[in-house]
Amino acid sequence: MQIGVDIGGTFTDIVALSADGRLVLTKVPSTPKDLLQGTAHAIRRVLTLASATPADVARFVHGTTVATNAVLEQKGAVTALLATDGFEDILELGRQKRSRMYDLDMDPETPTFLAPRRRRLGIRERVDARGRVLVSLDEAQVRVEVTRLRAEGVQALAVCYLFSFVNPAHEQRTRELCHEVAPDLSVSLSSEVDPTFREYERLCVTAFDAYLGPVVKRYLRGLGETLRALGVQAVPQIMRSRGGIVSAALAAQQPVTLFLSGPAGGVVGARFAAERSGVRDFVSLDMGGTSNDVAVVQGGEPLIASEGRIATYPVRAPMVDVNTIGAGGGSIAWLDGAGGLRVGPRSAGAEPGPACYARGGEQATVTDASVLLGYLNPETFAGGLLRLEAAAAAAAVGALAARLGLDVVATAAGIHSVVNARMADQIRLMTIKRGYDPRQFALVVLGGAGPVHGVALAEEIGMSEVLVPEAPGVLAAFGLLAAAVEHHHARTLQSAVDTVDLAAVNACLSALDGAGRARMREEGVALEAVRVTYAADMRYVGQAYELEVPIPAPLVGPHVLAAQADFHAAHERVYGYARAGQPVEFVNFRAIHTYPLPRPVLRTPEEAHHTLTEAQVGERRAYFAPTGFVPTPIFDRARLPVDARLPGPAIVEQPDTTTVIPPGYTATVERSGNLRIRRSS
Amino acid sequence: MSRPHIDPVLLEVLRNRLDAIADEMELTLLKSAASPIVKEGLDASAALFNVQGETIAQAAAIPIHLGALQFAARRLVHAFPPSSMRDGDAFLLNDPYDGGTHLPDITLAVPVFADGHAVALACTMCHHQDVGGRTPGSVPTDATELYQEGIIIPPTQLFRRGVLDENLLGLLRRNVRLPDTFTGDLMAQVAAGRLGGVRLRELVTRHGVQTVLAYIEELLTRAETLTRREIEAIPDGTYTFADSLDNDGVDLDRPVSIQVAIHVRGSAMTFDFTGTSPQVRGPFNSVPASTLSAVYYAVRAISDPSIPNNGGCFRAVDAVLPLGSLVNPRPPAPVSCRTATIKRLADTILGALVKALPGRMPAANSGTLLVMAFGGTDPETGQPFVASELAAGGMGARPHKDGIDVIETDVSNCMNIPVESVEMNFPLRIGRARLSRDSGGAGEFRGGLGLEKTFEATTTEVTVSHRGERFASSPWGLHGGHPAPRARAFIVRKDGRREEVPSKKMLTLQPGDQLWEYIAGGAGYGDPLERDSDLVLADVLDGKVSTEAAGAAYGVVLTSGGTAVDHDATKSGREALRQARGPIDWVFDHGQSGRESY
Repeated sequence: MQIGVDIGGTFTDIVALSADGRLVLTKVPSTPKDLLQGTAHAIRRVLTLASATPADVARFVHGTTVATNAVLEQKGAVTALLATDGFEDILELGRQKRSRMYDLDMDPETPTFLAPRRRRLGIRERVDARGRVLVSLDEAQVRVEVTRLRAEGVQALAVCYLFSFVNPAHEQRTRELCHEVAPDLSVSLSSEVDPTFREYERLCVTAFDAYLGPVVKRYLRGLGETLRALGVQAVPQIMRSRGGIVSAALAAQQPVTLFLSGPAGGVVGARFAAERSGVRDFVSLDMGGTSNDVAVVQGGEPLIASEGRIATYPVRAPMVDVNTIGAGGGSIAWLDGAGGLRVGPRSAGAEPGPACYARGGEQATVTDASVLLGYLNPETFAGGLLRLEAAAAAAAVGALAARLGLDVVATAAGIHSVVNARMADQIRLMTIKRGYDPRQFALVVLGGAGPVHGVALAEEIGMSEVLVPEAPGVLAAFGLLAAAVEHHHARTLQSAVDTVDLAAVNACLSALDGAGRARMREEGVALEAVRVTYAADMRYVGQAYELEVPIPAPLVGPHVLAAQADFHAAHERVYGYARAGQPVEFVNFRAIHTYPLPRPVLRTPEEAHHTLTEAQVGERRAYFAPTGFVPTPIFDRARLPVDARLPGPAIVEQPDTTTVIPPGYTATVERSGNLRIRRSS
Repeated sequence: MSRPHIDPVLLEVLRNRLDAIADEMELTLLKSAASPIVKEGLDASAALFNVQGETIAQAAAIPIHLGALQFAARRLVHAFPPSSMRDGDAFLLNDPYDGGTHLPDITLAVPVFADGHAVALACTMCHHQDVGGRTPGSVPTDATELYQEGIIIPPTQLFRRGVLDENLLGLLRRNVRLPDTFTGDLMAQVAAGRLGGVRLRELVTRHGVQTVLAYIEELLTRAETLTRREIEAIPDGTYTFADSLDNDGVDLDRPVSIQVAIHVRGSAMTFDFTGTSPQVRGPFNSVPASTLSAVYYAVRAISDPSIPNNGGCFRAVDAVLPLGSLVNPRPPAPVSCRTATIKRLADTILGALVKALPGRMPAANSGTLLVMAFGGTDPETGQPFVASELAAGGMGARPHKDGIDVIETDVSNCMNIPVESVEMNFPLRIGRARLSRDSGGAGEFRGGLGLEKTFEATTTEVTVSHRGERFASSPWGLHGGHPAPRARAFIVRKDGRREEVPSKKMLTLQPGDQLWEYIAGGAGYGDPLERDSDLVLADVLDGKVSTEAAGAAYGVVLTSGGTAVDHDATKSGREALRQARGPIDWVFDHGQSGRESY
């Protein structure tokens, strides 16, 4: 049996896949004070539901928010920073740009909380851009300062010297000195965390590594203990931001790779579901209670960003390129100064939640509108865990309607139009920004609220089809079981394409390969099955931003020309033009080592026991513009026969979500388990 | 047009969509432009206008562009009446004296057609890498005539019904140093404008042209109404303030004064610059399109951010710009370095607003974006190089918060260049880049610290075009807050000789020579003797304030170890300072230039 657990802000989702392909899924409330309590609860519950014992668990994969929470709540280790003398403020200076242009009351946007200035020390040493030592490391100073910092209660140390990605000797020697004078201090070196240029970004990711290290190690150690206490023997694996998994012990060594653990699981799960329908180009949309995550998968591969942001802070670690906005079922509708109707980004969250939860929430939310429009069944919401109060929804939306001078239904429909417009623009920007036309992509909807809005969104953008996976509400947990073991390494080696030193490049690629293989050895996987791919970050000479181009290894002359041609083509796609005559340079080299795990095998659905008529569980009036309320048949997803066609209007209910099929669209129940919705021909 | 029934849902959907179209235009421009200054400096803007030339939606550009596109759009619809425009046309201009700002900024407009009529203009503006003139980059700091700054393009038609005017393009290409880059950027502007047209037409097709136009008018009206409501909250009256630029880059000893009187009458505001210095010989003149960017920035900064971002915000605002002055020069006065002027205009306007909105406005920001260009010939490659540097100072303290240390403020918002990037690509070495201790003005709330940074020529002679500010005046403190110390710079020659550097000058560094820059911090707010002594201690422990300054400016005495506040000594020390100073009966503190009250 394989188990995947994804901890979200509100719920902990868990899936269990048994050897015969049977899938059991459930969710339990998250326990923010001690996340592992909820995890243990979820494991016991899913084992009971699956009639299995802890000893049956052969794999355990986990998606975690521990890194993100530690940053947002500023609950990391007491951290100090050693930098080249004269550059101890790089963390605070950042890139000097502000994101809130007209806000006179803004707060700092650099992560100074990681280490206030008294714990940022300049160390006498200097290396030039070629790695030549200009000033030798002042070892006595390091000893004195580190001893003092330790005495002052510092738990973790980040070391980031200029050009350490060319010559790491001073950073390495600094760590040796730390081990001498403060053996229990956790030390992060920028030349190991992220040996690429641009000092602010390298320093930030190194400081995050130091700050998170002790917290993440403690958490993952606790996870191991929890599993052992339950009797689970499997070594836990952790999903990372890039969409690959690693053993918990290795994840603890690279905490900055965990920020997008949860969303990456969603994208990998969406890819697994889409591939079962033969779809390889799609946009995944994960609409939950508070936010909406959009990612793009092209040719079966999620688009990866080499750098992302947590709050306003840069984190230079590769991650699935996910864009998040505050648009979810709990998003609050409000009137702006101009009397315009706005939705989000503020959310009613889980407590008090939407007005219809009847837990004290009084403001109208997207979920309240969905109830009033007839999309959600108040009796069976969230598998019947929660009974929704339509009257409370009507009161909340009604209050807004009175201020707008509209009736309640028009206001509810308006709330949907506005939130859909925001998500549509989010999809447009995510695709167009990367040089893709969204109309060439399918839309894969996940999260509890995604399938409610999916078709309306696809229509707004002109996307041709919508896929609703079998269990959209827990797809992030399922995605954990569909990921490969993966390690990524990168290094800066700047060199013009025309005069490239192939020996140096191949030495670099070989070092990257060695680093990746060492990691895989620690994973204990069969090395002969490890796949390695290489890429180079390239740019026109003089540019400040790079594009990633796949390359082979070892690199020989013709490959360089091919890489250059690929770079021009990528530039053409992303930026709309290429400059054939302009000199091109390599900046960074990357290696990605992958160990594919067997794809989960789901049991093919048994032949239909039910007819479509039997699958229909009722009928209610649902609102579809421009007609208004129309009688709409309600289907139980679990009973839908394979290959059945459901012409809209129709609504499909299941414990984790509700799918809305408007008039003019038809849903097909695929053998894969997906619902595929297209415009009726 | 009679006012139709307005559906608030459609209104919000259209507002969202119009903003997204402007964003998509800007994104297209930034992505497809060829020159680094656009791609990395983000020196480009996009907006949609109605055929009256009023902004419908504008992409979040740097504030320095806020006023610029609107002037260009108005000039273009005046020169080419919309009734004469045809689908597929495109127009451009850069003449600062006819709708432009400075010559590198070229505006390109594409009319959007619906039902056979031009209903809107999709406009983009982008800073071109080179438009000819005396120096590469077309921003000569000692120009004395517009003609030295590049090719001047009055409102001109580039495309007729989709056909490019090859003669015109050929003429333009022959006048610039990088014709391919120039053409690439120009065509990126055409592409972005056309995309805006396509998107707006989709909207019109879906909702009907009359509906869309009516809703656009409603959005403009609502923005106007809300902005007027903000202005009504300001007591009627005239609020004046004066500040100055160090010099004009040519006459180095003569400060350039800027004066504003803001007249508030009911729901309208007039920004009157009468009394401002006559136009200057050097390139620091600011044409009205540039000047109004500072005015519009200030209006947005004092308004609710949820007000729709369109031309309605500025209907309640007008300006008096004396002809022949720094803020409305006569041709052919040079204008290329007007960024420094717009920043000081913003300082001056915010200063006047201190009097209009007591307790809301911050003390002065650093008032500086240090712009430098290092040039020479790289001995390794034999190729010429130009490295630019854009460095910010500190933010002024706010009525309830310290200013932020080293950050871009008011009308500018550029990124700095990584130290490693500079040293990997140019024969320069940076010795330090850190917060400059004691550079923030003292106050109950401290001004943000400025920057301390050094540059050394390593292997070859390097010329430096140096454009600093606040060398000759101080960012002003408020309500007892101290001004920030002035900026300064000096060269330490290889043999140890030290030479002071004025704010604006062409410099030469030989290998081993170092240029030291101290960019101003922000000023302080409120009585420093009232600052929480624990915060002063924290600043001392963080090295942001020296022990001496803690005593002299804040009256805070530390224990002998320097790790705690000596409360008794602090109490008596503060009392003595208070006695010596007397009551705070001023509002602004300009340092050496004196104090003033309301």
